[in-house]
Parts: sequence; C-alpha cells; structure tokens
Amino acid sequence: MEPLLSIAVILIGMYGLIASETIIKSVFSATMIESGVILLFLNLGALNGGVIPISDGVNLVIVDPIPQALMITTIVIGSTVTSLALILSIKVFHNNGSIHWKDITK
Amino acid sequence: MIRKWMSLPLLLIVFFAFAIALTDYENLYVDTARIFYQTYGYLYTGSLNLVTAIYLDFRLLDTLFEAGILLVAVTGVSYIAQHDQVEHNPLFMLDKFKIPELFVSLARIIYPIVLLFGIYVVFNGHLAPGGGFQGGSILATALLILYYIDLKKKTNLQLIFTIEKVLYLLLISISMISFLTRGEWFTNFIPLESNLLLKSVFLIALNLIIGAKVALGLTAIFISFLKEGR
Repeated sequence: MEPLLSIAVILIGMYGLIASETIIKSVFSATMIESGVILLFLNLGALNGGVIPISDGVNLVIVDPIPQALMITTIVIGSTVTSLALILSIKVFHNNGSIHWKDITK
Repeated sequence: MIRKWMSLPLLLIVFFAFAIALTDYENLYVDTARIFYQTYGYLYTGSLNLVTAIYLDFRLLDTLFEAGILLVAVTGVSYIAQHDQVEHNPLFMLDKFKIPELFVSLARIIYPIVLLFGIYVVFNGHLAPGGGFQGGSILATALLILYYIDLKKKTNLQLIFTIEKVLYLLLISISMISFLTRGEWFTNFIPLESNLLLKSVFLIALNLIIGAKVALGLTAIFISFLKEGR
C-alpha cells in the first residue's frame, strides 16, 4: 500500500509538470516528484520494521541506514537546486515580464 | 502544444512501469548491507549513528560531491541575483510596520535557544539523530531570525562565499589525509585499530565543517533572494 502512495505523489508531480502554466508551478511539481522518490526509498529501507539506526552492533532490529544516508543527500541537493530554479524564474520575470510558459515560449 | 488529457496515457504508462517494477516489493529489498553496517559500522567508524557512519566514512565521496554541488548552487544563485543598484539592507521586504512587536520580542527570546540547539545537533551528530546537514539547517534558521530582530543588519556576501570556499577546501584536505595514514583515499585518517573515542574526533570535525557550510550556504541563498526581490 505504501509504495502505491508514493507512486501517487510521483504521478501527481509528473502531471503537474505537464499541465502547469507557470514556471513556479513547474518547479513545485519537480519538488513533489522528489518528495515521492524520498518516500519510496525510506519506505523500502523500513520494510522489516525496527528502530532508528542508532546501534553499537548488539542484536536489535534497525531500519536500513543506507536509504536514509542517500536521502539526506537528496534533500540538501533538492533544496539548493530548487532555489537555483526559483532565482532563474525571477530573472525570467525581469526579462520577459511574465512567468507563464505561453508568453515565454512564443 | 500538448493538451492536458494527452498526459493521461503517459501517466498510465509510468504507473504500470512502476507497478511492474514493484510487484515483488517485499522481496525487492536485500538486507545484506544493513547487517554489515549494523555489525561493523560502530567498530569501524566509532559512530553510534549509522547514517553518520555511512555519509562520513563509508561513502565520504558522496558527501564531498554533495558539498561541491551546494557550493556551486550557492555561487550560481548569488551570481544570477547580481544587480546594479546598491542596497544597504533588505528593508524593502521586511517592512518594520508590518512585523508585530510580539513576534520581534519572541524572536529575541527564541534566537539563542535555536542557535544552541543547532550547535548541539551538529556536535552530537555521531551519537544521536542529527548531523551536519540537519544542524546546519537549524543554524541557518537561527541566522534568518536575526533579520526580523535587526532590520538594519548588513551582511557581507563576499565574505560568506570566501569562508565557504575555504571550508570546502578544508573538507577535501581533511578527508585526503587518510591516504598518508591508512593508505586509502577519503576515509577516516585515524588508524583502524585505534580507540573508538579517538575516531569520533574526525566525525565531529567533519560534522562541524559541513554544518557551517550548510548554514552559511542557506543564509547566502536567503539573502540573495531578499536582495533580488526589489
């Protein structure tokens, strides 16, 4: 059930990328896709149940730390790339007077 | 121009691709790596927090490139946000008459607490949930509260970029020392047989550098946006 929910988030983001009319909405759709991917990875790592991955090697079941370590990377990179896209959209607005795709790609 | 309903088949194809890939979802996951990290993670790195053990020791190269991407993105944001007219402070966005006094007073109380909490999270990154990235974000939040307290505040962006570049070089050079002591690139430079407490020195140092880098980078991005929104 949970992977279907994260796939739903990814699909909503893809539909947003296709259907959005302004740059800002496209950027947010890309962020939604990223959130879905993060959910999918974290869920895959936590399939067997278990506690947070803070352990000194004794026998207790922990969730997989690898997806978490990869996803902290994704979150930081995603936030910086989103900020880069947003500042580019501000520049586009200054140059063209609009952030609608119709007006820009004319 | 693609119509909106045309996206439906595309979304269906993507959905079925995902559904086919995830039919065997329960068996897709192999826990060999988890067992390895659980058994040897603490002994090899001295880090109770296995996520920190992975991104500061086993997969340090990932973290280095991630810090590089952060540096490039921050520099790119500031370069794109360059503007001709000189502004002394971002007063035009944070209008003093719109900020309630209660918010300013509460921000003054909260600011040192948030700062302390961020430093705590950075320092305990190898023992408790947290680390350089998370603590850096909290520190950046604390630094952004300053803009509500002191509206006349000026920030030297060039100084922030210089500090960030120096920190990145420091990060790379600290992680390259391990070639001299252990004979392999990009891992802990303290020998493998030594005390676990001694090994955590490396983790604390790298967490501190990454925390400072993330905090300064996010602050620089925020200031660039403030200056751009004229």
